[in-house]
Amino acid sequence: MKQIALYGKGGIGKSTTSANLSAALSLQGLDIMQIGCDPKRDSTRMLMHGTFIPTVMDLVRVRGEGALSLSDIVYTGFNGVRCVEAGGPEPGVGCAGRGIIATFQLLEKFGALKGDVIVYDVLGDVVCGGFAMPMREGYAQDIYLVTSGELMSLYAANNICKAIKRLSSRTKSTCRLAGVICNAKNQPREEELVREFAQRVNSSLIHYIPRDRVVQLAELNRKTVLEYDPDSAQAAQYRSLAERIMKNSRFTIPTPLEIDDLESLAVEYI
Amino acid sequence: MTSNPLPLNISRYGGCTLTGALSVTTHVRDSVTIIHGPKGCTHHNFSLLHATGFDNDHVSMPDLISTGLSESDIIFGGEAALERTLDAVAQRNIGAVFVLSTCIVDTIGDDVAAICRRDHGVPVLAVPSGGFLGGTFQNGVNNALNALADTAEPCTKGWCVNIIGEKNLEYEVEENYAEVSRLLTALGISVNLRFVRDCSMTDITRLGAARLNILRDEDLRPVGDRLHQRFATPFIPSFPVGLAGTISFLESVADSFGVPHLQAVNKEKVLQEELLLEFQDIAGTSIALDPALRDSDAFMLACEIADEIDIKLNRDGCRVPLEVLPPVGTTGIMRMLHRWRRAIHA
Repeated sequence: MKQIALYGKGGIGKSTTSANLSAALSLQGLDIMQIGCDPKRDSTRMLMHGTFIPTVMDLVRVRGEGALSLSDIVYTGFNGVRCVEAGGPEPGVGCAGRGIIATFQLLEKFGALKGDVIVYDVLGDVVCGGFAMPMREGYAQDIYLVTSGELMSLYAANNICKAIKRLSSRTKSTCRLAGVICNAKNQPREEELVREFAQRVNSSLIHYIPRDRVVQLAELNRKTVLEYDPDSAQAAQYRSLAERIMKNSRFTIPTPLEIDDLESLAVEYI
Repeated sequence: MTSNPLPLNISRYGGCTLTGALSVTTHVRDSVTIIHGPKGCTHHNFSLLHATGFDNDHVSMPDLISTGLSESDIIFGGEAALERTLDAVAQRNIGAVFVLSTCIVDTIGDDVAAICRRDHGVPVLAVPSGGFLGGTFQNGVNNALNALADTAEPCTKGWCVNIIGEKNLEYEVEENYAEVSRLLTALGISVNLRFVRDCSMTDITRLGAARLNILRDEDLRPVGDRLHQRFATPFIPSFPVGLAGTISFLESVADSFGVPHLQAVNKEKVLQEELLLEFQDIAGTSIALDPALRDSDAFMLACEIADEIDIKLNRDGCRVPLEVLPPVGTTGIMRMLHRWRRAIHA
């Protein structure tokens, strides 16, 4: 079983990328599970045809953990992809990080973490230990950073490199940086910049996903691109991403950049 | 933000902030204390307070209620659990409710103060007591005393003092109070309020009536300052310690009231001389102070007294325990000397 996690700045397209990646992987005939690890709970929505599925945390809150079974928390979406949303507390109260930990423990208790590939779609910033949970022993070994060529997006990706570096130095840790996915904003020289960034942090650019209007059209139709327009060029991009991720064998301990280096890198590619 | 870079292996002078706050709030007779946190915090402290109370012949059960937080309360926020508990407690016929926070609710940011401010039909006092914020046992004591001080209003002053921040968990708390009370009586001054030891919320309304506050020890200075600000009451920062210290305590109190002290001071000096004479049977012996807790004030005092009686301090001497805290007043020294004598004659 392959377990991969996608991290990146909020709004960069992690959920879109994750959902299309899961769809593409499932179309290879693989058994896929996608777990949204963000209190915003919209990770799996396109796979579920626009439905916000009940989150694990909402179910625990309303019914109590004892009353739940696996079928209450796992929902089958496009092409059999199994979808879970961790959810979390209302904004501004409680502890969302602990919510992620509790969700993972529940999924383990139910034996839900199985299949060919599990895709973890994680909140933008690793703000506390709870959001590093998917990187811990027994969960995602392969961490992908989703970024555009914008400085703030690279900055967030670089911060996540710090978390990966910290966690991967622990004994028995199997978490590694598996690559950088460029979800383009169509800036000039964006691919070159992100490729260079990836190399500087001791990794590589796994795939460059160009910006395409079909992504928005698919979302308005509450579908992944793979379902909405399987013959489009963008669908081919996601299939290609899925293939590369399955073949990828380069897993590294990242070398995060200092902020000054990151900024001068961005300046080089203006 | 607080941080403590040194892993300390001695806890005597740190302690749990929650326990400190409880040592005060459980001495307000007509009150209930809610501990907002997991139930273990309440269980542990209940046992500690109960056991210590028994040792001090104080056999009442501390009236503690836990909000009993579980993992889901931590994830979704514990404020609803606190509201529920407050509503239930407010039904009871009591003078006040204290709400003490614990480490975990201060970590997740429950707004305890805001919830306590709502009208519950009974005074609700929030006492911040999350220990990880760098606080010690003493911070809990001070926070609880300050919260209580805010409930009293300034009033006309009488010929009396308040005793501030007695150590309700120490073994000789009543003996120490009796000693201070004896010295005050010698000056013709009475005690208005023991703030806080076994009193009611109504008693606490008298807090502003004292002309002088006497703090149990220096660590209570922030409370002394606050009371000074609120009620314009000056303070003496500590119970009397040592032979000379007891004399100067009498002088300070007398000065504060503008009464002559010569008679009381002379009488006390005679008492002290008689005390030293009474222990001449152990003069010329050697003792080794067992410095388990290394309180420097207690050590200095022991040296002073040993010197007065001509007892040698050396490593091969008879082992006598160093007091945990310096004994209070002349009679505190007498009890210490009795313990020394028992050890020497054993």
